[in-house]
Order: sequence, then structure tokens, then C-alpha cells
Amino acid sequence: MKAIKILERTLVSIPIIFGVAIIVFLFMRLTPGDPVDIMMGRSGVVSAGEIEKLRSEFNLDKPLPVQLWLFLKGAARGDLGYSYIQKAPVVNLIRDRLPATIELAVAALIFTLIIALPIGILSAVWQNSLLDRLSMAGAFLGISMPGFWLGIILILIFAVRLHWLPVQGRIDYDARLVTRTGFFIIDSILTGNRAALISSLKHLVLPGITLGAAATAVVARVIRSSMLETLRSDYVILARSKGLPEWSVVLKHALRNALIPTVTVVGLQVGVLLGGNMIVETVFSWPGLGRMVVSAIFARDFPLVQGSVMVYAFTFVMANLIVDILYTYLNPKITL
Amino acid sequence: MSTKKRVAFSFVLLLGIVLSACGGATPTPTVQTNPTEVTAPAAEASVVSEPQTIIVALQAAPLTVDPADHRERNSETVIRNMFDGLVTRDPVSNVYNEMADAFTWQDDTTLEITLRQGVKFHNGVEMTADDVVFTFDRIIKENAIEYPEAHTSPRKGLIAPLASIEKTGDYTVVMHFTAPFPTAMQMLVHQQILSKAYLESVGTEGFIAAPIGTGPFKFVSAQPGYTEVVMEKFADYYGGSPDLPPVGPACVDTVVFRAIPEASTRVAALLAGEVDIIQNVPAELVSTLEQVPGIQIKTAPGTTPKWMEMNVNQAPFDDVRVRQALNYAIDKDLIIEALYGGRAAALPGALSPNNNYVNKALEPYAYDTVKALALLAETGWTDNNGDGMLEKGGVPFSFTIDTEEYLRGISEAIAGQLRAIGIDATVRIWEYSVVKPLLQGGERMAFMGDWGDSAFDPVGHMEAKWHGFVANTTYGRGNFSGYNNPRVNELIKLGETTIDTGARHVIYDEAQQIIYDEAPAIFLILPDVVEAASARVQNWTPAADGRINLHDVCLEK
Repeated sequence: MKAIKILERTLVSIPIIFGVAIIVFLFMRLTPGDPVDIMMGRSGVVSAGEIEKLRSEFNLDKPLPVQLWLFLKGAARGDLGYSYIQKAPVVNLIRDRLPATIELAVAALIFTLIIALPIGILSAVWQNSLLDRLSMAGAFLGISMPGFWLGIILILIFAVRLHWLPVQGRIDYDARLVTRTGFFIIDSILTGNRAALISSLKHLVLPGITLGAAATAVVARVIRSSMLETLRSDYVILARSKGLPEWSVVLKHALRNALIPTVTVVGLQVGVLLGGNMIVETVFSWPGLGRMVVSAIFARDFPLVQGSVMVYAFTFVMANLIVDILYTYLNPKITL
Repeated sequence: MSTKKRVAFSFVLLLGIVLSACGGATPTPTVQTNPTEVTAPAAEASVVSEPQTIIVALQAAPLTVDPADHRERNSETVIRNMFDGLVTRDPVSNVYNEMADAFTWQDDTTLEITLRQGVKFHNGVEMTADDVVFTFDRIIKENAIEYPEAHTSPRKGLIAPLASIEKTGDYTVVMHFTAPFPTAMQMLVHQQILSKAYLESVGTEGFIAAPIGTGPFKFVSAQPGYTEVVMEKFADYYGGSPDLPPVGPACVDTVVFRAIPEASTRVAALLAGEVDIIQNVPAELVSTLEQVPGIQIKTAPGTTPKWMEMNVNQAPFDDVRVRQALNYAIDKDLIIEALYGGRAAALPGALSPNNNYVNKALEPYAYDTVKALALLAETGWTDNNGDGMLEKGGVPFSFTIDTEEYLRGISEAIAGQLRAIGIDATVRIWEYSVVKPLLQGGERMAFMGDWGDSAFDPVGHMEAKWHGFVANTTYGRGNFSGYNNPRVNELIKLGETTIDTGARHVIYDEAQQIIYDEAPAIFLILPDVVEAASARVQNWTPAADGRINLHDVCLEK
């Protein structure tokens, strides 16, 4: 039954994704700036004939409804067109870049959870203690610190000065990794390439921390406040009065309920980590989707922007669906 | 402050703190500005047995490795280390034969080219006339590139007058042009030769996955989106242009081009020893880098002269005296020192001082605010109410300088200098593709911009910037002042089809003199190309056209 519900929800997301794609399609075309003009370079010797030819190649000479119809028809078949600038199918470009973005988002999420969960819980248990004050001050700092600033600080300390970690990139050029899935960690393990595994893990640390810092701060604060609320509830007082050990009260009884709002926030943060990483990808030269989309927007590479935004919309919808599914496990009274 | 500026500022600040706190910044600058002084012959260094790898940080990833399918400098930079052409340039843009042995103009529009023999592609097959004909046919014929969908080479316009090419022998081809093409040699530099047999067997899709050329390095691998391209030395390389020593195989064994778009990250990667050469060092980071031991800063003559164009069809810029006054009101030397650390030159008018046809009789407008104010007073612009600002009929002299983010600094400097003489100038930042149609429509007052001039020839430049705008042609495509002088237009067209060098000088001298006098723009500056490398990089010279030629480069042991 649950599987059918999940399938139903997944199918419902398709019109949402297409709706987003149509909005992006229209907005991109309303944005001033001509893709052909940009593509031909600023100082290029370009004749009007060449420009007209390219417009026709990209269907830009056709009326807007026709362009939209051609786009939707292609998208329904899984064909998102081809990038004006990179001269390759959009599906291939996204397929090539998405693993890097997901890998970075997962690293950031792991960092977030490893740091935020214990800090949030302990801050609530020892409310107003030195740890609580310090961690909440740290959280405040984490939220306020812009990604590029933290990224640069980390680069200068850990890469330039200490030489512990690399400045940028995803793997050393001489790691000789044979890619199968595009996820370098997984590929390193699959191919038994230890050097590649170490190299890709090292490359993940600084961008992962930078990307995860803001999320860590948010999640830690949410866990703390929901834990505080739960720890004051009647059933926790009852559990304590029954003489249960404090760790059992906190971790077995209180945490489970406190996790419901946390899961919501983490779910939203997953979307942010996947979709809001343009700056981190740029600072660390991480070859992911975010960096590609930014370049595509400036180049008015319509098909590439549309395709990438569809992927972003899909990840947000899926993150929300997963959150809803997790609710049902955390609280059986909730159904999909 | 924009994000980019904030990043750069933060970086400089933090770098200073980190280096000084850790005692790493002993001020022993290693500045090498004269490329001719650096000599490390490839043959000498090639005896080093340990494999050498050089890593270059580019500011953007190449878009492709197909020499016929792009119109972008970074792609050309990477491609030209794997592919050679009929001709090449030295770092200051002089043209030399590369895979062509001789060029013979049979008449004004027919060019016979004799090819060098014994040149091998990376798969060991010899290059012949068939490959040259195939390469140029693929560029000029409609829809000759079949992947991902049939399309015409975006490089066709670079050799627009080429009508056809035919093979006349195994090592000779003849090119037929539709009109005399005085810049043929400069424009042929941009076309690299492909293997007909290989491309026909693997198709464009197969070719871009595993390209082969005749250049000093052969393709090894690339990350998606060409964010990293790895090449290795081609042992059977024919040696390159015989006129540009060292001749022979490359010195280093492996080359890695890596895209690092953020300037601060490029600098950090150089400081951390992760990369050996970085492209395009921002002016604000140059002085910081100069303080770091083990880093060398090098410059080449720039190719992007900068002007502030004024809308000559709208008051007050419809009066030539106002435009001249603004030229006198700007202290170019101060801008060069303060913003570019002395690494720029003042423009003597419409062309770059490095252009082969610059009018040598013209001097940059002098900084003379007295003269500027006198000229403005002649046109009625005076400070009547003593508030320090100029008025005419009660209306203050006020306008907006449109520009792009990367020119914010110089634009604000100009606005500041104009305000100092009583002109209320403000700066507005645009995205180029958004403001361009407004400029061409004559809707804006002033635009601070630049225009590439890597061929060092007026063609590609004069007709774009200083010819009147003609819709659906290349004339005036970068003219944002609305300037349209029939005599200048006539001279520009004449220069395009005149072969004789002396006659071209006369033509362009006259055109530049007229433009100088009529001043449709404030002729500003030409910044140098600034690149940085670790001190172990030897025999490396930045090129005026931005190309990074790694054939000659060696690494110290």
C-alpha cells in the first residue's frame, strides 16, 4: 500500500517538474540578452547571415509557443535538446555533472548531521551551559558566514599554509580513476583504487564543510529547540519518574519525537545543498551542476538552464517525498 | 561591493594575514617582464629523466576540443597545444609559418600554400593536402559538422572571404578568396589542421572524445565539461615553426589544463603548489603575489584597449568640443598606476599602441583640466552658482557611464575625475547582452568598454568600433557611440581590401587622425596581460593573444 502511495506521489511530481520547466522556459526568454550574440563572442567577426543561421538551428526564429511545444515534446521523450554553447546533449551534460553535485551534497549532509545532531541534543540537555552557549554562538556564526568567506579561510589555512588538503578540484589528475558511476568515492571502491579514494575524500573535505556549515547551524538550532520542547513534555517527565536512565530518556524517548521537525528541516536543507551550491562549486572549482548552470544562465544557454532546473525541481520534490516517508516511520500515526 | 569584489578583497586581506602570521612573506619579488631574457632551451632541459608535469589553471573550461567548433579563447588555448596550423604567432603576434612551408599569392584572391612534409598526426599518419582541404571545407561548408546536430562551424566568419580550397598536389593546396584579404595570415593562425581519415572514421562525437592533431602534446583524458584536460608529450612531433626556437618535441612530459574560474582560488592553488601557471591575475592580487617568494609575475602586451564611448547624437556629446574636453579631463597615468600597478599603456586614439597600423604621429590626449574647462566653457558649460558643478541654462552636466562589473573600477575612477571638474557622472553596471541592444539603439549616453585586438591589425577592430552601424553586416557591430563619419567609413572599407602595407598605413593614419580629432570616445588605456607562475617554470612567455603555448616550457628539477 505504501509503495503504491509512493509511486502515486512520484507521478504527481511530474506535472510539477514540467510546470517549473515551463516557467523557466518563459522567464529565460523574457530575460534580455541574445544567446547567439553571446555565443559568437564579443569581438568576433560575425555576419548577419551566420547569426540568422544559428537562430534557425536553435529554433529561436520560431514563435514562442512553437518553441515551447518543441521543448515539451522533446522533454516528454527524455530529450532536453542540446546546449548552444557546449554543443552536446543537455541530458549528457547533466548526467556528467550531477554525480559531482550529489557527492558534494552528501558530504555536506554527513558533516551537517555529524556535527549538528550531538551539538543540538547536548545543548538541549545541558541548557544554558557553557557548551550550549558556545555551540549556539557557533551556530549563529555558521548562519551568518557567507560561503565564499568560509571557503577562502579554509583554503588559506588548510591548503595554502598547512598543505593538508587540496585547494580545489575533485580528484588529482594522476589518480587514474576509471569512472563507472561518476561518483568518485563509489568508483574508487568499485575499482579498488585506494589512491583515488584518498584523493577524492581529501578533495571533498573543504567544500563539504563550507557547503554544510550553514545547514549545520540551522539543523543544530532546530534540534535544540525541539529537544527542549520534548524534554518538557509529560511523557518524558513520566519516563524520568519511572527511574529510566537519562540517556535512555533522551535518546530513546525524547529524540524520536524531536526528530520530526528536524527531518523537515534536513529535507529542505538537502534541496538547498543540491541546488544552492553555485558559490561553493565556484570557489572550489568543483565540476558540478551549479557551476555549469551559472555559466549557462550568463550565456543564455536556454536548453541547459531548462534541463538543469528540471533536475533541481525533481530533487526538491523528491527530498520532500522522502521527508514524508520518514515521518511515517518516526510517527506511525502519520500516513502518506 | 559585488560578490566578486568581496571575494577578491577578502582574499587579499586574509592572504596577507595568513602569510604574515606564519612568517611566509619575505618580500623578495621575482618579476620577469622581459620575455626575451628567459632562455631555457627545450633540448637542454629534456635530458632530465624524471617525468615532468605542468599544471595550468585557466579562468574557464574550454568548451570543446574540436578546433572547428568554437569561438572562444580558452578553447583555443587548450586546442593549440594539441593541434598545429599552417601558421602561428609569437608572443607579440608576429606571424610565422608552422606547417606551411611557403605561401604564394598567385593574384589578389588566390593563395597557393606549400605544406611541410613529414608532419605526423598523433596516430602516426602523415599530414597531407587532403587533410588541409578537409579541415577548411569542414569550416566553410554549411552544416559540415554533424554532431550533436548538423551545424556550420562558428569559425567560418574568421575566414569569411575564403570561397573554396583545392588540392593541387600531395603537399600543395590553393585557396580562392572572394575578395582581397590582407589579414589572411593573421586569420589563418586561428585554424588548426585535422586528420581527414581519422575524423571520417570516428565522426565528430568520437573525435571530441579522443581528438588527435599534429601538435606537441597528444590528448590523454578529460573530465566532463573539460574542467580538466590531460595531455602528454608527442614524441614524433615535427618540432613546430622552424623560425621560433626551440624546435623539437616539447620539454615537459605531461600537461594538465584545469579550469579554476574564481581568481582567488587560482592564486591560492598557485601558492599551494597545486598549479604551475595561472591565467589572468586580477590587478588587485598582483602586488600581493609579487611579495611571495617562488612566484614570478609576467606580462605581455594587452589586446583589449578600453574606451568610454560617448553618444555623439545626443547633447551634450553631440558637440565635438565637449568630447575633446572629457579626453583632456582624464588622468590616464593616475589610473594606470592606481588601478593597474603601472601595467598598462595610454591609448593614442582609436587603436592600441601595439597595433601594426597605429598612427605614430598621435600622442595620447594630455591630462589638462584647464583646457578641458576652457573647451566646456566655449560650449556654455560653466559653474554659474559656485557649487563646483557645471551647468548650462540651469541644467547640470550630468550623465551615466554604463559598463560591466569587470570594468567597475576604471569606470568609477573616470566618474570621480569627471566629478572633480564639475561633471556629475555616475556608474551603472549592466550585463553586456542586456545593455548592448540599448547602446546600439542610441538609447544610452556613455559606455565604458573594450574590444579585442589580438591580430594587431585594424581589420576586426576598425570596422567594428569606428565604422557607422550598418544593420545585418559586421560594420559598426561594436560601435556604441553612434559615430558615423562617411570619410572614416570609406577609409575603413578601403583598408580591408588593400594589400600593400604602405598604402594601408596611409589609409589607417588618416582614419585614426579623424577619429582622434572628433573623439567619439575618451581614449583610455591598454592593460597588459598578466599571468603568474611558480619560479620553477622556465622559458614561459605569456602571449598577447592570451594563448598559453607549453611547447617551449620546461620545469626546473
